[in-house]
Amino acid sequence: MKRITLTLITALLLFAISGLDAQERKSPGSNVIAGLVYPELEWKVPEVGKEVTRTVLKNGLILYLMEDRELPLISANAIIKTGSIYDSKERMAVADIAGSVMRSGGTKSYSPDSLNSILEFIAASVESGIGQESGSVSMSVLAKDLDLGLKIFYEVLRYPAFDTSKISLEKSQIKEGIRRRNDHPGSIVSREFDRLLYGDHPYGRVLEWDYVKDIGRDDLTAYHAKYFHPDNIMIAFAGDFDSKKLIKKIENIFGAWEKSPVDFPPLPAVALDYKPGIFIINKEITQANIRVGHFGIKRDNPDKYAISLMNFILGGGSFTSRLTSRVRSDEGLAYSVRSVFSTGSRDYGLFYAFTQTKTSTAHRALEIFFEEFDKIRRDPPSVAEFETARDSYINNFIFQFDSPGEVVSRLMSLEYDDYPLDYYQKYLENIRSVTLDDIKRVAEKYLDPDSMSILIVADTSKFEKQDFTDFGNVIYAALKDPKID
Amino acid sequence: MKKIVPLLVMLLLPVSIQAKKEEIKLDVKTHTFSNGLELVVVERDLSPTVSMIVRFKVGSADEHPGITGSAHLLEHMLFKGTPNIGTADYQAEIPLMEKIDRLALQLTAAIQESRSPLYRGDNSRINSLRAQIASLQDEQKKYIIKDELWETYLKNGGSGLNASTGNDGTQYYVSLPSNRLELWAYMESDRLANPVLREFYSERNVVYEERRLRVDNSPYGKLGEQFNAAAFTAHSYNWPVVGWASDLETVFREDVEKFFRQYYSPNNIVIAIVGDVDFNDVVKLIQRYFGDIPPSTQPVPPVTTVEPPQDGERRVAVRYDAEPLLSIGWHMPAGGAVDQEVFDIISSLLSRGRTSRLYKSLVEDKQLATSVNAYSGFTRFPDTFTISASPKSPHSIEEVEQAVYEEIARLAADGPTEWELQRVRNQLDADYVRGLQSNMGMAYRLADMQAKTGDWSYLIKLKEKRQAVTAGDIKRVLAEYFTTANRTVAYLVKPENDNSDAMIIKKTESTQMGAK
Repeated sequence: MKRITLTLITALLLFAISGLDAQERKSPGSNVIAGLVYPELEWKVPEVGKEVTRTVLKNGLILYLMEDRELPLISANAIIKTGSIYDSKERMAVADIAGSVMRSGGTKSYSPDSLNSILEFIAASVESGIGQESGSVSMSVLAKDLDLGLKIFYEVLRYPAFDTSKISLEKSQIKEGIRRRNDHPGSIVSREFDRLLYGDHPYGRVLEWDYVKDIGRDDLTAYHAKYFHPDNIMIAFAGDFDSKKLIKKIENIFGAWEKSPVDFPPLPAVALDYKPGIFIINKEITQANIRVGHFGIKRDNPDKYAISLMNFILGGGSFTSRLTSRVRSDEGLAYSVRSVFSTGSRDYGLFYAFTQTKTSTAHRALEIFFEEFDKIRRDPPSVAEFETARDSYINNFIFQFDSPGEVVSRLMSLEYDDYPLDYYQKYLENIRSVTLDDIKRVAEKYLDPDSMSILIVADTSKFEKQDFTDFGNVIYAALKDPKID
Repeated sequence: MKKIVPLLVMLLLPVSIQAKKEEIKLDVKTHTFSNGLELVVVERDLSPTVSMIVRFKVGSADEHPGITGSAHLLEHMLFKGTPNIGTADYQAEIPLMEKIDRLALQLTAAIQESRSPLYRGDNSRINSLRAQIASLQDEQKKYIIKDELWETYLKNGGSGLNASTGNDGTQYYVSLPSNRLELWAYMESDRLANPVLREFYSERNVVYEERRLRVDNSPYGKLGEQFNAAAFTAHSYNWPVVGWASDLETVFREDVEKFFRQYYSPNNIVIAIVGDVDFNDVVKLIQRYFGDIPPSTQPVPPVTTVEPPQDGERRVAVRYDAEPLLSIGWHMPAGGAVDQEVFDIISSLLSRGRTSRLYKSLVEDKQLATSVNAYSGFTRFPDTFTISASPKSPHSIEEVEQAVYEEIARLAADGPTEWELQRVRNQLDADYVRGLQSNMGMAYRLADMQAKTGDWSYLIKLKEKRQAVTAGDIKRVLAEYFTTANRTVAYLVKPENDNSDAMIIKKTESTQMGAK
């Protein structure tokens, strides 16, 4: 049986912080640590024009390249401006299925089986997918197989065959996924929370079998023809190559692909329709899954740096953030406790805090959540808390660039998301300019406990304190079985 | 602390790996310190960062019933600090923790007593003990500086900070900007030399919640736990890493401290460091910080219980409110034993990629399942080779199970084609190269192999052994191990679809009829 290895925290969280109070208590070890001297670190954010090459082919295809000769490997990541967000709810599955079958359904020159055989024999991979706001095709090959890999990569991007047997396979896989979507309490709570707040906006809508069952090959080829043009694609390459030679190869293969502007449908805007109250879904499980929150910000908000630090102190910084410290460490109520304040969303993202605790202590966990929401709005954090949050962001920054593949993908994403191109050069300066008072200011401005939605998935018969009305209006909602045929 | 005169470099062994096709050179440098601590280093200046793993050669397989979950609980506790870290006044904490320990014993006894069917008392004593413990915990909080170790790492840029426990090992990992290596050496040596298991009882509750999250309310968690419990009747792979629920209610600070003393000594550790460092500097630094920690006076207790051969198929049904899942497992050899590597090849032939036999047959052609995965591990003790599948409605678990056996029978009869074998060999070569990409990934592989075999370079030997596997080996191993008698099968079924009750009732009826 595959052994489950348990980790101390659920995911590899980047950050955490301690809730050292203002009181000046010091451990003996902190004096030793203060005496350690660290040599200067020589490092700068990699830049286009220096470590990274950016070039645009005649047909508009944008390339980012970074050489890394240590291991004989080459990776490529294409990002395509597309996504299910451009489609209506009823058509939302087209992007999803097109994204999968672009690769699984073979290409003009390669049947699905031959594509699988060729790639697996050379231990390479080419995979594709289309999400809400972008599409991607990735490739990983041993350097010696670059030419073959590039040819397949190109064919998957430009000439997917959308084999009908693979379309029906993909549809039936999706159907089974829909059937199983209520098996995991965690996925119920995240799905229903998004649906509650966003309603029919693409950020909240839920895939149903009705939207999938009638999709056919013509839908996919039309979708592909609409969005897949070289001037709508960027590709990041990293690995064991000579950049000039690689650009030549790419020109030879991709050069004949003619540019063609894409006529993008208008994007639906998020309606800030707050849904204060408590929504309780009954399921026979032994833990209450809780999520609390409301709308947050768009990624162009200049307060995003202060918000990141504020959320780090509140509940984003894992162990020693305030929520974790109290719910997990002090009271032993939960294993996983965290708050998330999205700062990278194009339209309004979300702020939410979540945990899972034994059903009887659901009420207590919520009490602590709201005490902490109030506290961070009322008082500025201690200097120690503030410095820990700030230093964590600053010192951890280097790890966002510790592999060439990551460097090129990040720089390419800046351009895709319309960030200023010197975003990373200015990033540390922006973090450093956040003040202690900013933390309280953004907490007051962007957290509003009165308009938060609380979603609980739990066995309601096991609540110790049945009455949740102290947190707002209680609405019991039934978990519907998915409709499949 | 007693000083131990350090022996000069006992083993200094630069090794160069030469992969045939791709000419990968990798200098792995090792050193064993006089207290037994083993160090593995790779110098690599891709970025000014460094990744460290401290690997203890102890996991849940070293526990015994009554204290299951201790290895994992101890891993959590090692983040609670020392007399130097996490406290403003350790001396003041000691009497409080001793009082809490005594009350916790009484509380547990009271709870156990209250569960007796003959118990006639009320909950007043339990509530009073709980209140006393809570008030002592509050008093101790005045001295505790919460999660100082964690906070210090983060403040200094710690990335991927975490720890994990498995059946076979426990590891603590972090990556830092490379100029901060000394901070790591200070904090890790401090918690190895002198951990303080403060806040033990609230952390025990945290772990209980972790169990609820990962096992009790997770379809694969539920299934996996019962699968292992059926497949292993004697050996300690029987219980879950997180521990049995009842043990998590009755394990005490003293038990976990004892576990620490038995297993957490320098002679039971491997440290792997990969990144922008100088080997000689690392050796000096570790000598300075870890060199004085004495080895254990008692030898590390071995696991002596051996799983007896399985003499018949075992089938388990697990009722749970989720769509059906299936796991099938056969006992296989431990890592390094004869034939273990053959199982690695079999798992790739069966389920790696879209050309693999189970994927092609069950997912693509017959469309009986949405996913099928075969898994073989390199473990300290003989484990199971498992196949897990998620049936696709309207197909039943039984259909999926039969289809798996058909594919195995076909592979056993005909053996793999030369193309299939070469496909797997090429993938294994490439895996090896890709495994070297990240500092932490490399550190993990080196530490794991060094801990399990005493020799990190077994990674290369294993690669060679796998390359040498023939079609004949595959057929032989399938015939020998993949038998009905050596097999355990676990089904996850919805309560309303589990007809075992009906069978019991039928049996009872027939017995009664017979009695008439």
